[in-house]
Parts: sequence; C-alpha cells; structure tokens
Amino acid sequence: MPHPRWIPDARFLVGVAIAVPWLAALLVATYRRRTRIISFLAALISVVACALLLEIAPPGESLYHALMLLFSCLTLGATLVLPRRDCGPAIISGILFILGSTLLAYSADNLLILLAAWILSAIPFFLPRWCQADTWRPRAALLVSAIALGLAIALIAASSNAISIENLKGRSPGGNAAFGLLVTAVVFRKGILPAHAWVADAAEGGPTIPTALLFNGHFGALLVAKLIVPLFATTTVKLFPILSYLALATALYIAIRALTENSPRRLLAFLALSQSASILAGLESQTAEGITGALVHWFVVTVSTVGLFGILRLLEVRFGENLTASKHLGLAEHAPRLAVSFAVFGLALVGLPGTLSFCSQDLLIHGTLASHPLTGLLLPIATAMNAVSVFRLFTRLFLGKRRTGFTAVMDALPRERWVLAVGMLFVVLGGLFPNVIVAQRSAEADTLLGAIHTRTSSVPVSSKSRPPILQWLYAHPGKKPAFKSAELDASKMP
Amino acid sequence: MSLSEAVLVFVVLAPGVVFGVFALLWLLGWTPGERVVSRITGGTFSACTLGVSGLFWKLAFGGEPRVVVTFGNWFAVHDYRFPLVLMVDHLSLPFLAMTVLLSGLIGQFSATYLHRERGFFRFFVLLHLFAFGSLLAFAAGSFDLLAGGWEIVGITSVLLIGFFQLRSAPVENGLRVFAVYRACDIGLLVGVFAMHHWAGTALFSSGFPMLRGGHAVIVCLLLLLAASGKAAQVPFSGWLPRAMEGPTPSSAIFYGAISIHAGAYLLLRVHPMLAQSALASALVILIGAATAIHGTIVGRASADAKTSLAYASLTQVGVMFVEIGIGWTNVAIAHVLGHAMVRTMQFLRAPSMLHDDHQMHSAIGDEVTPAGWQLEDLLPERVQLWLYRWAFDRGHLDTILDRWVVHPLLEVSRHLANLDRIGSPRVASRSRQVAISLPDPVSQGGD
Repeated sequence: MPHPRWIPDARFLVGVAIAVPWLAALLVATYRRRTRIISFLAALISVVACALLLEIAPPGESLYHALMLLFSCLTLGATLVLPRRDCGPAIISGILFILGSTLLAYSADNLLILLAAWILSAIPFFLPRWCQADTWRPRAALLVSAIALGLAIALIAASSNAISIENLKGRSPGGNAAFGLLVTAVVFRKGILPAHAWVADAAEGGPTIPTALLFNGHFGALLVAKLIVPLFATTTVKLFPILSYLALATALYIAIRALTENSPRRLLAFLALSQSASILAGLESQTAEGITGALVHWFVVTVSTVGLFGILRLLEVRFGENLTASKHLGLAEHAPRLAVSFAVFGLALVGLPGTLSFCSQDLLIHGTLASHPLTGLLLPIATAMNAVSVFRLFTRLFLGKRRTGFTAVMDALPRERWVLAVGMLFVVLGGLFPNVIVAQRSAEADTLLGAIHTRTSSVPVSSKSRPPILQWLYAHPGKKPAFKSAELDASKMP
Repeated sequence: MSLSEAVLVFVVLAPGVVFGVFALLWLLGWTPGERVVSRITGGTFSACTLGVSGLFWKLAFGGEPRVVVTFGNWFAVHDYRFPLVLMVDHLSLPFLAMTVLLSGLIGQFSATYLHRERGFFRFFVLLHLFAFGSLLAFAAGSFDLLAGGWEIVGITSVLLIGFFQLRSAPVENGLRVFAVYRACDIGLLVGVFAMHHWAGTALFSSGFPMLRGGHAVIVCLLLLLAASGKAAQVPFSGWLPRAMEGPTPSSAIFYGAISIHAGAYLLLRVHPMLAQSALASALVILIGAATAIHGTIVGRASADAKTSLAYASLTQVGVMFVEIGIGWTNVAIAHVLGHAMVRTMQFLRAPSMLHDDHQMHSAIGDEVTPAGWQLEDLLPERVQLWLYRWAFDRGHLDTILDRWVVHPLLEVSRHLANLDRIGSPRVASRSRQVAISLPDPVSQGGD
C-alpha cells in the first residue's frame, strides 16, 4: 500500500504516540488539576497517531501497530470510565506512563529500548502511593523478570555485537542461556506457573483499572512474538514446547484455583491469567490456526478483562469495596446495564458464540490440539472451568435477593455506558464478522510461522520419536499441511 | 439465491434479528410494552412457520433432497475453514418445524401466563435467542455451526432457569446446569476438532465426513458425551429436576420439547458414522436404556408435577437413544415429534393440574383409579423400600457426581489456595475470613 502524503512519517507518529502520554503524565503530576481532561486528550492524540500508523503499516506486519491502537483506545476508554475518586494525579499519571511505556515496547526495534520499556512499565508498581499491595510478590516478580531480560540482552549483545532485533533474527544469539533467561522473563512477567501468585496480589492491592491495563500489555506474549520466536527459531522448535506445556498447565491450574476464590478482584485476575496463558500455548503451537487464534485471543482477552475490571471498579465505587462472591448480592436490581455489560464481557472472555472469542478459542483449540493432542486437551477443559467461574461471579454479584440500604444508586452513567457499549460492540461485531480481524492476524501468523519454518531445516517434531499411540493421534489423512515446504513462504520472511 | 434458500435464511435469522433489536432498544433505554412484545413474537414465529411450511412443500414435492445455502467461510486460516452453511433436509426439517411452531405457541401462552411479571421482557428476549440458537443448530450444514447454535441454546437455558433471580435456589441451580453443560460440551468441541483433523472437514451438507475404525469410534464417543449432557442422560440426569426452577413455559419448551431433544438430533445427524461403530452404538443403547429405567423409577417417587414430567421426558429420550443405537432413525424422529408435542402440552397444563384433578373428581364422583402397570408392587417389600430410597435420591447420581467429581475438584482448589498463601500472610488472613462464610459454590440449593 502506498504511503499517503498527508500522513506523517512512521517514526514521527510513534514518537507522538509515546511522548504525548509521557508529557501529559508529567503535566498531571505537577499541575494536579483537570486530570481527566488532560489524560483524555493525551490518550486521544495517541489513538490518532496509532490509527495513522496502522493505516500505513504494510500487510502482514501490522500486528504491533494494531496492538498499539488497541491499547491506546483502551486507555482512552479508561480515562472516561475511571470514577472521580480514582482521578487523582498519581493514578492518572501512572496510567499515562503505562500507556507510553507499553507503546514503546510494542514499537521497539532495538533490544535496549525493549528493556527500557519493560522496566518503565513496571515502575508505577514500585511506588507505594500507587500500588498498596501488601505482599512482596508483585514487586519481586516484576523485578526478577526485568533482571532476567536485562541479563539475556547483555548476553545477546556480548555474543553478537548487535542490539537491533532485525539484524539478530534467526541467529540464536547467546544460545540456550539467553533463551532460558528470556523464557524466565516471560514466566515471571506473564505469571506462568509457578510464578502466578503475584498477578492476583497485584489485582487486589493495586488500583483496579490501571492494574488491568498493566496486565493487558501482555508483555510476556510480546516478548515471545517479538524476540523469542524470530531470534531463536531453531531453539524455539526444540525447547519452546516446555513453555507451552507450562502455559497449558497454568491455564488449568488457575482455572481450578479460581473455582473457590471469592474475592472478585482476585477471581477476575485468575480468569484473565488463565485465559491469557493460552495465548502462549497458541504462539508455540507452530500451526497457522494456533498462532492466528493466539493473536486474535490477545485482542479479545485484553478488551474483555479491562471491561470486566472496569465494571468491577464501578460496582466497588457504588456498593463498597467489600464485594464478595461468597453470597448473592443482587446488584442487577440496582445496576441492570452494568450487569448485562459484565455478562457480555465475561462470556466473551470464555468463548460464547457470537463473540470474537468464540473464533479465537476455536482456532486456539484446533492449533494446540493439532500440535499437542494430549496436553492440548487441557485448554478446552480450562476454558470450561473458567466459564463456570465467570458465571458464578456474575450470579453472585448481580443475581439473588435485592440488597436494601442503598439510596439512589446509579446504573452506568452515560459516559460509562458509551465506553462499555463500544467495548461490547467490538467483541460482538468482531464475533459476527470475525474475518476482518482473523484475516489480518492470519497474515501476521504467517510471518511468525515463516520465521520458524524457513530457519529450521528439520521437521519440527520428529514423528518417529513419538510413541505409537501419539503417532496414530497425529495422523491426519484428510488434511494438508499448512506449509508444504520452507521455500513456500520464503517471500514472507521478515 | 433462490426463494427456498431465502426462506431458509429468513426462518433461521428472524428470531435472532428480533433478539438483537430488542436487546439494542433496551440498552438504549427503551423497553417495549407487553402488547408490542407479544405481537412481534407472534408475527415472527407465524412468519417462520409459514416459511417452514414452504420448505416442507419444496422438499416433499419439489423433488430435492435438501436446500443448502452457502455464505462462504465465516473465517478461514489456510486449510482450516469455518464454513457458514445452512441446510434443511428430511432430518432437520421436522426439528425446524417443531422449533418455530412450539416457540410461537409458547410465546402466545406466555403473553398471558407472564402478564405483569417483572421479567416479562427478559423472558421474550431470551425466547428469541433460544429459538435462534435452536434453529441455527438444527439448520447448520456443518458441525462447527451446529456447535455455535448448541452453545447459544445452553446459555439461554441457564439464564431462563435463573429467571426468578431474586431467589437463590434457581440461580444456584442454573449455575449447576451451566457447569454440566460446559463439561459435556468439551466433547462437542474436541469431536469437531477431531473431524477436522482426521477427515479434513466438519461439513455434512455435501456428504458426511466419513471416518473409519478407531477415529470414528473416538469422534462418536465425544459427540455422545455432548449429546448425553444436553439430553440429561445417565450419569448427567441430575441437572434436569434442577432446571425445573425456571418458569413453566420455558420448562415446557426446553425440557419438554426442544433442548432435551437436541442430543437425539446430534446422534441422528452423526448416525452414518455411528452405524459404523458397534462399540459406540452399543454405548448409545446402554446409556439410553439405563436412562429410561432410571427416569421411570425416579419419576414415580417425584412429589411435584414438573419434576414428574421431567423424568417422564427423560424416560422417553432414553428410549429414543435406544432407537438411534439400534438404527431405527425414522422411528426416533417420529418419537421425537410426538413426544415433544404431548410433553409441551402436559408442561403447560402443569400449573392447573390440581384444578384439573378436582374437576375430574367432581365429574367422576369417586377416586381416580391409577392407570398403568405398577410393576414395583410385585417386588418384595424390602426391595420396594430400597428402590423408593434410591428413587427419592434420584438414583444417587448427584451424590456420586458431587462425591467423586465436584468435591474433590473443590478440595484441590482449596489446597491450591493454601499453596498461594505461602509467603503472603495478609492475603492468607483475608481469604480465610471469606472462606468461613463460603457456601459450596455448586452444591448449594435444591429444587
């Protein structure tokens, strides 16, 4: 697609998208007034810049631009939905800071910039006024992940004398040690088993909506898609399944864990974690369906979980912060539109037909089952359990006997209602017409898949090494392979 | 697109469009009045019934075995495609007709029955969504699309069980039903995947995806799991009496007519593959027979009208499974249609049953003699007593599921929660406080 003259250069747009939120964060921290307006305008400028970036992105390479647009839109929505009591300078500047850092990470083409973004995005969690989590785990996990990434990048830079991601593709710089450190960074940042507990702690102790935004930067998945798969194509084929098994185990473990959780914040954090763990499994599946499903799921999980956390915060503001899923609270009587929005986002998170996640789950399940027939079964089981947990939370919060003692409690305010409506439209229209999103992500999946297949001369997993029962399960006489040969997709090489 | 194809599309989409419009209007802040809602419902299902009549004419006298509408792929990634294909043939037509006819009747009945009820509008919105899901499942030309409709039927069913949302019991029972549905739907999802994987397609509008040997057995068993869950077959029968918490019209259409027969439809649809697998066929017969016996015994010990009717339905659906397993597919279709009509009528009369009974007594002037054979009288008294206890606890099915599945799972979950608390004292104390007041999330409530 030719670059229209009226659209500025990509580097300029990236600069605007990142610098404006950061400057606005500084302004909010010093000026300390009109915080919502300033943050709204800054996020709006970011949205426009990211939209223009997506417009000029070449086909098949628009993943990060689309993610930038999505994240800036979510932040824009968050600035509108945030209750007035959360519009203090600390939280607003933190949100804008996270926005700038996340966009920096998505747009990074250089290892040092990626490391800087990784560290910067976590900084608000180390500020006591911002995050009141009493446990040490969130800070420890973020710190360990940053140290692991820093060491990996040092190792890569020392062994290859390069820090540009483009120049390092397919060279497995730093060998298995760097690969291991990168995987460690992913495990801690994403909350993969056994480093999962910090996510719920952070959700419980941190400000709800900004914490949801931090989770939904999905830096772990970003590291996999941006660094691990392109740089370590050979190692990925051999060792990456371990991370996939861990991700699937996390999805199931957390799904079981969520069944008896009664704190709504922790429960939502578990659900988000369990559902987003499957993104890693999909990225590793080495099938076009699995990777496409993972990328689409990335979008759905992000929108749904931010929506759910947002609604929860609105409920906390209205009905108090001691909400629990241990009894029926009957809030639907007071806030029916919030109840319906919660149901739509919740069911969208777990693959209800008519929402985009039905398609992404379908692709993910096909991809993971195709690459791991036995362990892949964990994914539909985990999703089923998560659906039960979502429904349990919905019924406990919204259904049951009407609470008395509330006076003139408002349902969703117009500004909240419109933002929630846009989010619901995204998941529902995306579900009714999924090909618009799936086709784009499929092209990007081809790019990722091409990076693996063209740089590995051997068959991904030796079929002869499998036991007979697995060979029989893997047999698929009616289906052609997605990639017949490495040469087929040489043109899509990044 | 020919006229018959357009009619098929209209029949399937009309309730979905009405649902979408109603939902949108409500979100925008306008709730239509009862008269508007009932008239739109009546009009929609009348038009759909006319459409299905036209399709019947086309199939019966037009010489075509099926009408197929292909919209291309809903989404596609390389060789994997999710085709949007609607199809009506001699199997799906009776189910479509049953759905539109009974949905319309239930709509008309409910306009009076639920008059001035708080959830009047919600009921009708969900009725349209349910009809759309059912029509989509029955008119699907591929197992992928069938799974979509199947899931919509499930979620609507659960939302209507919790219709009386101010009471805890219906809501908790809805949650239990949802859990059983989701667990069994894993069979459908993995079964469809297996079809794609081994046969390369899940389309059946242009010939059935034929699998042989072990592959066919696995797919049949997975689909049998899904069908058993939806049709409340043994060992999943425990959810059916819980589902009676919903309003009577929804019980009638879901558990007397359409939802309960969706499992039979799935098995009928997959019958070409089922017939190849002796093991799967035998299992279908076994499950059906066990359910029929279970249903008839437990039904005799049920104290309320709706639960008795639910178990009577269960017995008949069990017999249908046996018929399908044997291969009497035409008998099974006829059985489904006849049973759905009679059972819907019985469910709708259930609230007036006492009144009917009094009328009958007045007319006869004496006790009404029980009809049918009471074979249990032939058993020794101790066996009768044991059987009564067994039936009273509904065959211990829920107890077994709770003891061997639900409670161990929740116990594991609590152990994992304890593991999470290591090194986090503040979280530990807070969670413990909550845990004390924790009712069992799925076993609470009754019917």
